[in-house]
Amino acid sequence: MTSSEPFVRVENVAKRWNGQLGVEEVDLSIPRGSFVALLGPSGCGKSTTLRLLSGLELPDEGTITIDGRDVTTAAPSERNLSMVFQSYALFPHLSVAENVVFGLKVRRVRASERQEKLRRALEITGLLGYETRKPGELSGGQRQRVALARAIVANQPLCLMDEPLSNLDAKLRASVRKDIKKLQVDLGITVIYVTHDQTEAMSMADIVVLMKDGRIQQTGSPEDLYYRPANTFVAEFVGSPPMALIAGAALPGFEGYDKIGLRAEDVQVVEAGNGRLTCRVSECEFLGSETFVGLTHSSASGLTVSMPGLRNIPAGKELEITFSDEDLHFFDSSGRRISPQTGAIDI
Amino acid sequence: MSVLLRHLESFGALLLAVIWISPLLFAFWAAFHATTDAVNFNLTAPWTLENFRTAWDGAPWLRYFLNTFMLVTVILIGQFIVTTLAGFAFAQVRFPGRDIVFILVLMQLFILPEVLIVENYVMVSRLGLFDTILGVGMPYMASAFGIFLMRQAFKGVPIELHEAARIEGCGWFGILWRVYVPLARPTYLAYALVSVSTHWNNFLWPLIVTNSPDTRPLTVGLSIFGAPENGVDISIISAATMMSVAPLLVAFLVFQRQFVQAFLRAGIK
Repeated sequence: MTSSEPFVRVENVAKRWNGQLGVEEVDLSIPRGSFVALLGPSGCGKSTTLRLLSGLELPDEGTITIDGRDVTTAAPSERNLSMVFQSYALFPHLSVAENVVFGLKVRRVRASERQEKLRRALEITGLLGYETRKPGELSGGQRQRVALARAIVANQPLCLMDEPLSNLDAKLRASVRKDIKKLQVDLGITVIYVTHDQTEAMSMADIVVLMKDGRIQQTGSPEDLYYRPANTFVAEFVGSPPMALIAGAALPGFEGYDKIGLRAEDVQVVEAGNGRLTCRVSECEFLGSETFVGLTHSSASGLTVSMPGLRNIPAGKELEITFSDEDLHFFDSSGRRISPQTGAIDI
Repeated sequence: MSVLLRHLESFGALLLAVIWISPLLFAFWAAFHATTDAVNFNLTAPWTLENFRTAWDGAPWLRYFLNTFMLVTVILIGQFIVTTLAGFAFAQVRFPGRDIVFILVLMQLFILPEVLIVENYVMVSRLGLFDTILGVGMPYMASAFGIFLMRQAFKGVPIELHEAARIEGCGWFGILWRVYVPLARPTYLAYALVSVSTHWNNFLWPLIVTNSPDTRPLTVGLSIFGAPENGVDISIISAATMMSVAPLLVAFLVFQRQFVQAFLRAGIK
């Protein structure tokens, strides 16, 4: 096997539930040791994709290859992977130690080796001293770490995570996010991570896969998704605030384009008479270092300008804004990104 | 008004309790007194253990105790195996016709066991199990109530635990043994209580299918011992009755709290 061959390859996979939409035409190739985030709104098929990879569901079409081996119809236990569930799925009747070594015991690993691996996993996750506790006696963050320990104890090269942070409070989430990323880098494992939170996806992942309605919208690095959204859905999903979309007809010189995208940081407020668009203020959102001022315009949606410091502009006030042409993103009538020079589809 | 109602409620509860326990209290009283004193309610009469001595010598009680103990154990083991496997299949295994089969099993609940006595008798004889403890226990092993109870308990187990066990490499049997069975422990305990007390007290079927002191359980032995043609008086029958119910009664008093909790926990799920 050459190193250039992807570690996980998903080809044209589809899964349908009698009439209900599952996933359709999913293609992925994931290099060894990368951190991949499956991102999207709820019901977009990201969890289904993960379950197809894990073998908990079998695809109706297509093939899945892991480490050069076709595992399309293989049982979950034959795929050499571990999984962290959203609810952690800790066995309530077993202690922390028994939970972590559950899989080793099932696979009949020798007791001495089991003990050694347990120690290492607990050390990495900072759970030494909690061996005899039951999951019910642990806090949410500790339970989450037990789930992580169980996932890494067997040294499986692939780890699947299904929204592992969604049950934690916001503060803990930020720190665990860093822990997971560090763990992945230190252990050199491949992680496929499902989330609906774009902050998680953008901050942790090497590759983000954005999905909607069972189909992949864009696969790329976080920068790619942010700076070169493949279509209007990606543009309006990624970023906080997301990209504003302006009808081409409203901008002189750009009538040929259906939609034009513009990020809040690329917008400047100017003196009356010098602006390219005249908008009304709809609300101000103060975030500390900056204030997002929401604007309304008859032929634009999601228009926002980022202004430094605290601003308190009364709603309804007229503002004129400007922006430079190189910061604009262009989309055709079907929503796909096109190059302003050639007019061709540009992904 | 509400105070009166409350008093009325506790009074009613007390009355019920007295009515329910009075036969037991009378048997207890009679067992420790000479027959004439017992019937006349002579409160100053001396206490005696003579009745127990007479009753003990009158029948092979030790054998009966052993038979009953073996009977409830065999039934319980059989029920645990059958209801666990069937309950798991109905709760978590997808197979064609599952719901229809489950309804058929549930229909069993509508049929009085007494209706099936002749049919069971024929079947047990044909299997060559007549007058054996296995023969007495056999018809109760595939308990519809037990299957239903286990199915409900297993359905309450979060599916993620099942999936986590699958990822970790468990097969069907491993998942059942390592995940479902331990998590359904309160249900097993509650069911064991019901099963043991039911079969400790079961009378009609063992009476029909047993024929010798070697297989006869306590209830049948007691009825033969106390039959009018044996000419045994009320005090001695009471003593024998007290001996028969004592193990169950003591066990209930000792484990009262656990019993009630097991029922509550099994019920909440």
